[in-house]
Amino acid sequence: MNAPAYNFAYLNEQTKRMIRRAILKAIAIPGYQAPFASREMPMPYGWGTGGVQVTASVLTPEDTLKVIDQGADDTTNAVSIRKFFVKTAGVATTEKTEEASVIQTRHRIPETPLTEDQILVFQVPIPEPLRFLEPRETETRTMHALEEYGVMHVKLYEDIAQYGEIATTYAYPARVAERYVFDPSPIPKFDNPKLDGCPALQLFGAGREKRIYAVPPYTRVKSLDFEDHPFEVQRWDQSCALCGTRESFLDEIVMDDHGTRMFVCSDTDFCAKTRGER
Amino acid sequence: MTERGFADVAIEAAHAFRVIMQAMARPGRVLDIGADVRAPAPLLPSAAAVALTLCDFQTPVWLSPQLDDERIVHYLRFHAGAPLVAEPQAAQFIFATSADLPPQLGLLQQGTHDYPDRSATLVIQVAGFVPGAVELSGPGIRGRESFGVVGLDGAFWMAMAENHARFPVGIDVIFAAPGQLAAVPRSTAIRMLESA
Ligand SMILES: [Zn+2]
Repeated sequence: MNAPAYNFAYLNEQTKRMIRRAILKAIAIPGYQAPFASREMPMPYGWGTGGVQVTASVLTPEDTLKVIDQGADDTTNAVSIRKFFVKTAGVATTEKTEEASVIQTRHRIPETPLTEDQILVFQVPIPEPLRFLEPRETETRTMHALEEYGVMHVKLYEDIAQYGEIATTYAYPARVAERYVFDPSPIPKFDNPKLDGCPALQLFGAGREKRIYAVPPYTRVKSLDFEDHPFEVQRWDQSCALCGTRESFLDEIVMDDHGTRMFVCSDTDFCAKTRGER
Repeated sequence: MTERGFADVAIEAAHAFRVIMQAMARPGRVLDIGADVRAPAPLLPSAAAVALTLCDFQTPVWLSPQLDDERIVHYLRFHAGAPLVAEPQAAQFIFATSADLPPQLGLLQQGTHDYPDRSATLVIQVAGFVPGAVELSGPGIRGRESFGVVGLDGAFWMAMAENHARFPVGIDVIFAAPGQLAAVPRSTAIRMLESA
């Protein structure tokens, strides 16, 4: 007898039912942060336990899973999560974006456009976009209920007054379906346009803060901005030093002890595909 | 004897949930539900799959008169452990047929503006789907989607349009036909295509 010591995808059925109910309500109310009873996972909170619980609740044995961390498939965090689901759910894995049916991500959206047949699961550290303006949960809840988003605009406008532009470059707030302002997790604002009208279902899990939220397919996601300061993404003067593309989000890396630097794609799978090396 | 539920609970619930989730994420799209589940008539296996995937001791369930059958009650108690309630207003999940819906959808649990997720899910057993009754638009829908359900008339869709008008509070509806599921959450705007 070699029966596995845990249930399919690790979580017990009662926990999955609770998370699944929260996911459905999150989908029905796009951008709203649905509470759920987050469980202890066999990994630290910083490792995306919210995303892991969402992935565990949506996986089927037939899925092909891709896990990325800052765009890369080979970091310790991404490798550990992938191994966890191979062991507990027996799913196939891939590094190729177009081969994946479920993609769990920390801090990036793949450069390769997603399809209707894919589900993107984000690991979220702080789900509440109003938290740094208002620490009290009861207050932010009321602000969402009343659509009181003026303070958020004031904060962004103060940036413009101080720096001449909106200084926020990560976790850039956006409005979902013209209703809830949400935090798309610490993705670069370069990725915000990919949220808008995306054919894939996008799910967000925050483990420590016990929140799940969703952007259904083909949903309008508008990054907050002003008429005289429209939303803009990051641009680079360089192209990727490895594949030559000018269309992807670039990381600056130090090459040697002399401080030689170069810019390369943050999405390692996209870079390899562009080089024709996979 | 109680009917067997899912063949393999963890695997079949995962399969069923994927279909339920995709239905909720793509309003008006009719999806095949292939989960291996048995249920006592007149409870459809597709509706039973929704119950066994989502309901448990934490979710009060109400059964419409046509489904309030001793074998179904026992089946849901045995497989889901869900408490059955006498009034639909007290339920988190409502199972009904297109012929005996609770009279006023607006009286079901709507959630609050602080917690709109604390709202009812209505599962309606239907004979099938026929596009052309309403045009759906909103999150999950690329452009517009023509949709219709056998046995549900203009009065029902008027109530669903009112439900959408209450967004972000409101109920979410899953339609369970033989072998198929579709859903219309509160986020979906509804335009009537034919007069009732
Ligand atoms: Zn590159």
